Amino acid sequence: MTASVLKRTLLLLGLSLYTAFASGPFVWAAMMSLRTTTEIHRSHFALPFPAHWHKFPEAWFNSNYATYFGNSVQVVVTAVVILTVVGAMAAHCLARYRFRLNRVIYFVLFSTIIFPPQITIISLFQILVQYGLYNSKVGLTLVYVAIQLPLTIYILESFFARIPSDLFDAARMDGYSDWEIFWRVALPIALPAVATTIILNFILLWNEFLYAVVLITDEDNRTLPLGIQRFIGDTQEDVGMIATGLMIAIIPVVVVYAFFSEKLIQGMTAGAVK
Amino acid sequence: MAVVTLDRLTKIYDRAHAPAAEDVTLEVRDGEFMVLLGPSGCGKTTTLRMIAGLESITSGTLSIDGRVVNGVPAKDRDIAMVFQSYALYPHMTVRENLGFGLRRRAVERAEIDRRVAAVAGVLGLAGLLDRKPHALSGGQRQRVALGRAIVRDPKVFLFDEPLSNLDAALRVSTRGEIAALHRRLQATMIYVTHDQVEAMTMGTRICIMNGGRVVQVGAPIDVYRRPANTFVAGFLGNPPMNLMPAVVTDGPGGRRLRVGAADLDLPAGAAPSLAPGTAVTFGIRPEDVGDPATTGAHRAGVAVEIVQVERLGAETMAIARMPGLERTLVARIAGDAPFTIGERRTLSLDLTAAHLFDASGVALRPEG
Repeated sequence: MTASVLKRTLLLLGLSLYTAFASGPFVWAAMMSLRTTTEIHRSHFALPFPAHWHKFPEAWFNSNYATYFGNSVQVVVTAVVILTVVGAMAAHCLARYRFRLNRVIYFVLFSTIIFPPQITIISLFQILVQYGLYNSKVGLTLVYVAIQLPLTIYILESFFARIPSDLFDAARMDGYSDWEIFWRVALPIALPAVATTIILNFILLWNEFLYAVVLITDEDNRTLPLGIQRFIGDTQEDVGMIATGLMIAIIPVVVVYAFFSEKLIQGMTAGAVK
Repeated sequence: MAVVTLDRLTKIYDRAHAPAAEDVTLEVRDGEFMVLLGPSGCGKTTTLRMIAGLESITSGTLSIDGRVVNGVPAKDRDIAMVFQSYALYPHMTVRENLGFGLRRRAVERAEIDRRVAAVAGVLGLAGLLDRKPHALSGGQRQRVALGRAIVRDPKVFLFDEPLSNLDAALRVSTRGEIAALHRRLQATMIYVTHDQVEAMTMGTRICIMNGGRVVQVGAPIDVYRRPANTFVAGFLGNPPMNLMPAVVTDGPGGRRLRVGAADLDLPAGAAPSLAPGTAVTFGIRPEDVGDPATTGAHRAGVAVEIVQVERLGAETMAIARMPGLERTLVARIAGDAPFTIGERRTLSLDLTAAHLFDASGVALRPEG
């Protein structure tokens, strides 16, 4: 009994320390978002008293944040929707159907992730200019889909491959076509994996900076990471406003995570077989 | 209600390998419970999947009620199948699982509800309709899988080893339920299993398969009593038939056999007349080997040494070695029979129940 209490205490202590360690930077940035840069320079870690809540509307309205936020939502949500639908279809197809060159296609798709963005970005820039997609949200969306698709397929393919083929056979006997089986059987069962890729892609693309900074220069098409960069001047940086901007940028990520993580933990496939 | 006819049905997955099913010819009669029985890899599941429409047919014809259905997709064959893994949709409730097939067939919602409720009532699932499969026990899942087939009221039911994931006790009761279901629905059912107890107890007829081919078709007891070859003789029965190499020697009626060091005179009703020197396989079921105290015509005593005694309670398996033979002889005797390991004694063989097989393993039947 005592041993188990001790064990639990140690575990709780360890977890608390880790949580404090992991959330430390977040809490610090949250505190700074409510303080002015002058206050921050005076004392880096002080509590936000008085709290300058007005900084949030200020960042939103005076620093063109509404536009950046809108652009980010538009580009990232579109890219994530396309990635999820196309990625799931491709993964289902590669996992389920036996056809010539199945593994070759899989290998070609997946092998593209070995190239770091620095290698491809110049040619990508050139291609987008040629197609008139440079400096456009459509161009950035397409690039985001292209860079995240291999990983999305990789994650989903391994999950789809684990869905027992008997389920597909049963659905065929029940009278469903391949198209219907994908939407009504495969996709709902794969929801935990789909939720994982949605969270992953959303967070990665929401924070994406390199492609955005190279492919977007127009003020009206900038995404949030570029917006935050605007607070960094050549000689000084507005740390307080950067923190406020970061807090605004984090909100959608937290919402997406909170919504989909529930699906993530649901053991949906339990009881499928045996 | 349907007649399912398989005519030289063949399935080849890979030209480099032997066919998974070859020249399978079989007629499943209307309302019959046909069991496809055989060891793993014998082609029984492949055959069932070809009937279901889940596998293409390489050659041969499959017809249901006289209509060739080779090219008809699974959904249009009006067949329901119960899978070994149950294959319940994990994201749907029991109610949705049962109604999924009907929804596709544009059956009205009220009718779906009525049929689902009726089937749930029959199978004892009424209280579980809003649960998802992961909240059900193995037996309940099995019943949902059965219900999903019944609710569609198909022409033909297919079962692919539906009991193999259940524990022993549940298997016995579910076996009874399926048999009762067949009696009530009087539907044509084709049932794949490797379990001979299931085959013997449930089948109207059984079709024994081996190496992708049909070996023997018949009523369970007929197949048990008159196996077509050594494979069937060795496969059906637990323990299986004792099979021993033997040679025909000079003797009355050409039916004297030398088995090891023993000479056995088979009665005319058990074997045909054979030329001396013919090499054959002599077969006798363990229940036809017993204590010499049992008297009767055509019982022959053979001297043996008991090498193992397995007491199962109601009965005992005595494993004995006959002089001059490598193979052991199994005798099914009374539970309290006073046999001990190492003892030398005489066992009596009921030669009227003996079987003879030629060098290629095919059964030799008595003349007339």
